[in-house]
Amino acid sequence: MKLSRITALAVSITALVGLAGCATSEAPPTDPSIETIVIGSQAYYSNEIIAETYAQILEDSGYPVERKFSLGQRDVYIPALEAGEIDLIPEYTGNLLQFFDPAATETAADEVYTALGLALPEGLTAFTMSSATDQDSYNVTKEFADANSLVSIEDLAKVTGLTLGGAPELAERPYGPSGLLSVYGVTVEFQATGETTVDSLVAGIVDMANVYSADPRIEQLGLVTLSDPRGLFLASNVVPVASGVVSDYVAYLIDKVSAAMTAEDLVAMNVRSVDEKLSASVIAREWLLSKGLVK
Amino acid sequence: MFSISDLAAWFADPVNWDGRYGLWFLLLEHVAITLAALLIATIVALPLGLAIGHTGRGEFLVIGLGSISRAVPTMGLLFALVLLWGVQLRDVSLLVALAAIAIPPLLAGTFAGVTTIPWGIRDSAKAQGMTGFQRVRYVEFPLATSSMIGGMRIAFIQVVSTVVLAPLVGLGGLGFGIVQGLALRNYSQVVASSLVIIVITIVGSQLLGWLQRRTDDRL
Repeated sequence: MKLSRITALAVSITALVGLAGCATSEAPPTDPSIETIVIGSQAYYSNEIIAETYAQILEDSGYPVERKFSLGQRDVYIPALEAGEIDLIPEYTGNLLQFFDPAATETAADEVYTALGLALPEGLTAFTMSSATDQDSYNVTKEFADANSLVSIEDLAKVTGLTLGGAPELAERPYGPSGLLSVYGVTVEFQATGETTVDSLVAGIVDMANVYSADPRIEQLGLVTLSDPRGLFLASNVVPVASGVVSDYVAYLIDKVSAAMTAEDLVAMNVRSVDEKLSASVIAREWLLSKGLVK
Repeated sequence: MFSISDLAAWFADPVNWDGRYGLWFLLLEHVAITLAALLIATIVALPLGLAIGHTGRGEFLVIGLGSISRAVPTMGLLFALVLLWGVQLRDVSLLVALAAIAIPPLLAGTFAGVTTIPWGIRDSAKAQGMTGFQRVRYVEFPLATSSMIGGMRIAFIQVVSTVVLAPLVGLGGLGFGIVQGLALRNYSQVVASSLVIIVITIVGSQLLGWLQRRTDDRL
């Protein structure tokens, strides 16, 4: 026990010295003893593209990178992140906050980010969040929006007999049927449409559906995303989450990616994945090049 | 993360039993989907199996269909059918995908039931001047029943556990509790739903086993 504490201390001191060294230099590091950075991603194509941008900007600066992509859901990769098996993973502020604190009431982007910082367990760090978002949103078809003159979720209050489609868990989420009623006075009948949510919306099986805001199909199918003036949904900005001690230079590079990525960029990259069937690495590469982040 | 007392509390809470996505409704839905898929499979496999067993032609179908169905992943087939036929017909897609795994064991059971009848019996029926239809109806079908029910038992076990996929395409059944429970990290709900599926499987399988034994002594 005592020995391991001393070892831990020695490791932390070494890490601190390493950190201090990195903090001052902005040139690509050349230290051969640099450890491999393990980057994870969810089993979600869009998340994989973001993870690829992190991996490539690091590789471009000479860091050895190991990719552990498609790791499934948070239940699977959060323990791996906490155990240090993964060093870095792209996350989403709102959904991650909800994972660690299901009772969280914050919905605005900044509040969610602050709350997330407090909710994260020891050893995990959230870097600066990006302005790119990928969050829950309620969508209707163009025809349905026109027929009922819908712009915001508020406008739904005057429509009767609404059915809401979404993943099975939406039934219990705070922004689900109960939230619609308490925040907007909108009564809906919930139908769990699972993977067929968007198709069910287009086919008229449900009137409104929960679709992620960065989903290319919103644009492709001309769906109308209802605005959320009373903040029913948690803002969910893209945020890199790191495990353990990460050098300042790594943070600096990753922050550059987060700062450059806009919500439109994310949708555009998702569209390329769905439409052109390009691999995450090609999409990420071309985006980094277009932003001048890699050479 | 999960304990037996949580599970007991989950079962004791009436909220979890009532409503569209309550346990009662999902249970009935699960059984109804299973029975519907087995009915479709029976309508296809029973006449086909009797015909192949009776004529001795088309045996390759029994083996071929069995191998194909084992090679095709049901989830892939389900998603492909939903994409192909559209989301309005997703219930049809589900029943077809489930029938696809139920047909091979039913077909094999029926076929084996007919072909394992001792030649002496089938020959003497022929020698008595019975027509082909009469032999199928009064000799081969009754004597193949036990083996058919054996095939039905295998089909039932496979279908009842595969209905769990239904919520992935927006349909119900007890898989709902599992899919939703995993997303919400409500493990009591996941285990409770699984337990109910296990109970249905055991009860149904025992029932079919009992029926099979009752028809056994015909031969």
